[in-house]
Amino acid sequence: MLKVKDLTVRRGERCVLENISLTLSKGRTVAVIGESGAGKSTLVGAILGLLPVQNGHVSWNGGDLRSVFPSLVMQEPRAAFNPAFSLGRSVMEPVKARGLMLSDGRIDRLCNGLELDPALLKRRPYEVSIGQAQRLGILRALIAAAPLVLFDEHLSALDAVTQKLTAKLIATLQREEGFAALVVTHDLGYAAAHADDIVILKKGRIEETAPAGQFFRAPQTEYGRALCDAAFALGALERVA
Amino acid sequence: MIVLVEVLLRSIVVLTLTALVTFTLLWHAPGDPAMAIALARYDAVVPPDVLEQIRAQTGLDAGYWPAFWHWIKPLLTGDFGNSSVSGRPIWPDLRDAFGLTLPLALAGLAIGLLISVPLAIYASRQPGSWIDRGAVAVASIGAAMPAYWLGLLLILLFSVRLGWLPAMGAQGPTHLILPALTLGLGVAASLTRILRSGLLEAREAPFLPALARRGVPANRIGRDHVAPHAAIPVVTVLGLELAFLLEGAVIVEVIFARPGLGTFLIDAIFARDFPKVQAVVIVTALLFVTVNLLIDLVYRVIDPRTRLSGA
Amino acid sequence: MRSVLALTVALGALAVFGPSLAPNDPNAIDIPNRLASPGGTYLLGTDALGRCVLSRLLHGATWSLGLAFIISMIGLAAGTLIGLAAAMGGRLVDWALMRVTDSFLAFPELVAAVVIAGVLGASTWSLIFALSVTGWMRYARVSRGVGLSLRERGHVIQARLAGLSPIAIAQWHYLPALGPSLIVVWTGMLARSILFISGLGFLGFGVQPPTPEWGTMLLDARVHLRSTPLLMIWPGLTILITVLAINLTGDALRDSLAKPERA
Repeated sequence: MLKVKDLTVRRGERCVLENISLTLSKGRTVAVIGESGAGKSTLVGAILGLLPVQNGHVSWNGGDLRSVFPSLVMQEPRAAFNPAFSLGRSVMEPVKARGLMLSDGRIDRLCNGLELDPALLKRRPYEVSIGQAQRLGILRALIAAAPLVLFDEHLSALDAVTQKLTAKLIATLQREEGFAALVVTHDLGYAAAHADDIVILKKGRIEETAPAGQFFRAPQTEYGRALCDAAFALGALERVA
Repeated sequence: MIVLVEVLLRSIVVLTLTALVTFTLLWHAPGDPAMAIALARYDAVVPPDVLEQIRAQTGLDAGYWPAFWHWIKPLLTGDFGNSSVSGRPIWPDLRDAFGLTLPLALAGLAIGLLISVPLAIYASRQPGSWIDRGAVAVASIGAAMPAYWLGLLLILLFSVRLGWLPAMGAQGPTHLILPALTLGLGVAASLTRILRSGLLEAREAPFLPALARRGVPANRIGRDHVAPHAAIPVVTVLGLELAFLLEGAVIVEVIFARPGLGTFLIDAIFARDFPKVQAVVIVTALLFVTVNLLIDLVYRVIDPRTRLSGA
Repeated sequence: MRSVLALTVALGALAVFGPSLAPNDPNAIDIPNRLASPGGTYLLGTDALGRCVLSRLLHGATWSLGLAFIISMIGLAAGTLIGLAAAMGGRLVDWALMRVTDSFLAFPELVAAVVIAGVLGASTWSLIFALSVTGWMRYARVSRGVGLSLRERGHVIQARLAGLSPIAIAQWHYLPALGPSLIVVWTGMLARSILFISGLGFLGFGVQPPTPEWGTMLLDARVHLRSTPLLMIWPGLTILITVLAINLTGDALRDSLAKPERA
């Protein structure tokens, strides 16, 4: 179980994250929602210990999170790959680094589910499209069966059909392997369909946190209501009966 | 204020490290230092009791740290100690040597600036023109030219062939011309390159076309906007040039038999007069730290970016 | 890239095959023909002991170029290691290593090299030691700078999360990205080494006679400046052309690297 307690990040005088607390159990998904600059990506970095944290504490089952090797799908799809290597080599890095053994056909199965031609793995990062790079990033994050996967806008470069297929693969795999997922997204429709819990972030603070069903039925805060109304208006969300 | 303290602290760290490294090097130098002193002083192999006496005198018998302290303690009050060869105090000789190196370095710097500044300004006005290419070519050759060879070539031309200028010694101002020219041409080569690219970069600054459109005259753009931009790399480079001047001075003084700091150092090394070597190293380090400190401060005044980040 | 390769091959060939191209024994003394003018058996003339200048220059290439290569490679290895340690080791390590680097940079290199080589006694080994000790700082600065900018790159973060060891991260994620900048620094340091080796040789601290080395040849020729000025022209010209070629290659390389990479 991921436990985040009172996480605070300051940059100079500015408070980028303030007293963030959340828990996330095995097999469950939490969606972090908020406008640009609300601190969503900072939260991901802070949880993973990638940036200096002024206060607070992150643990996994009471121990060090980094020792269980959580994986991350980055917002910038190509940046996650070393330009000097083939994509296959980067994808296999978590497996090689820890000397893991992959079950037969795992790569083929994941590639299949993500609609990726395995031949792409021989190419370099700048020889594939952004959308392909994004799915390769997801492949890399899923390949070593990490107990916690953090998705930072992982569907942003995909068309609607591929988004659905990708989301389906992630959901199936999550059922089978039971990893915990933290998803940063703008897409309320996606959150409504896949998240168990919703965290609304605004200006570095948690504005509202609730089980997904409850949130979409009756948002408790002004900001939550505004977000839902906007999503309804755009048709991204269908009113739950 | 905090910046000043940090810079000062850094200078002290650098000086201390230099002193330690120098002392360690000399401490581990091959051969018995006491024997070296004895040989230098008496020009003969001496009995063991004289060696013991020398060791006691110089603090060598007490071990590494006491010997280090034996050197540093008087140094902190400005006492450089005595030559291990002649026994005479080092400071007066060192001062005289420095008195000959300083005019050489200043004259070299002046010659370098006199050549490079007009050349770089002229060249950068018309990038790609024949004068620009010529300046770049001359600067490239100058950067690859070994100072010791340039000095010999100048002697060959002006002393041997034309007989205009003296090649050796430091008796009068005419003796300064050839060494200063050797040094100055080297400085000019590197300064021209850096100034030229600095000016070109400043001329390409994105805000300049906007100024021109607003009707600011070209010469005022040059003076008020291009020149300050180009000045930043120059200040940095002047610090590096000081290193170049000192290194050049060592070689130039040897070529022209000028008894300055460089000759002083080389003679001290050949005579294995370690207190003199230590003195030269410390004076050089002090000089550098001071100049770097000044440059650091000037830099903060002329470059607003460091002013912000240094706060 | 191609120009560096061509230059490296050319200089390497000169260093390796130079001696076998020499028409005469570089140390064979021919007193009757001392200080001879160019022509005949001795294409570039002879020195004060009647030794063939051309043969000595060609044999000297092995020393000057070979030593410069060794020294610049030692600096490359040491400097890169120190720079990467500073970039990857956290703030305290970085601060300490950079203060040491500054201390070494704060002192004129040639003066330091003269002191070290002189105090250790004139020999090839103390020459290598002196010029290596004073020749790693630029590599360290550059690899630290590039290393710090890499630390926040996506693929480096991913490698850290994946549990790759720091050494493997340095090897696979930092070194390939450092390559181009380090090659540019290396060309500069190679040129510097050649100038410094012959400079120390000229001062009497370098490679010892009768070994032919360009700087020592200049030192020998200096005495005969009045009678046989050509004698000091040859080694000087050789040094100048070699260093110029290396510098121009370095400039070309820098310019080609300054162009934007393909996306």
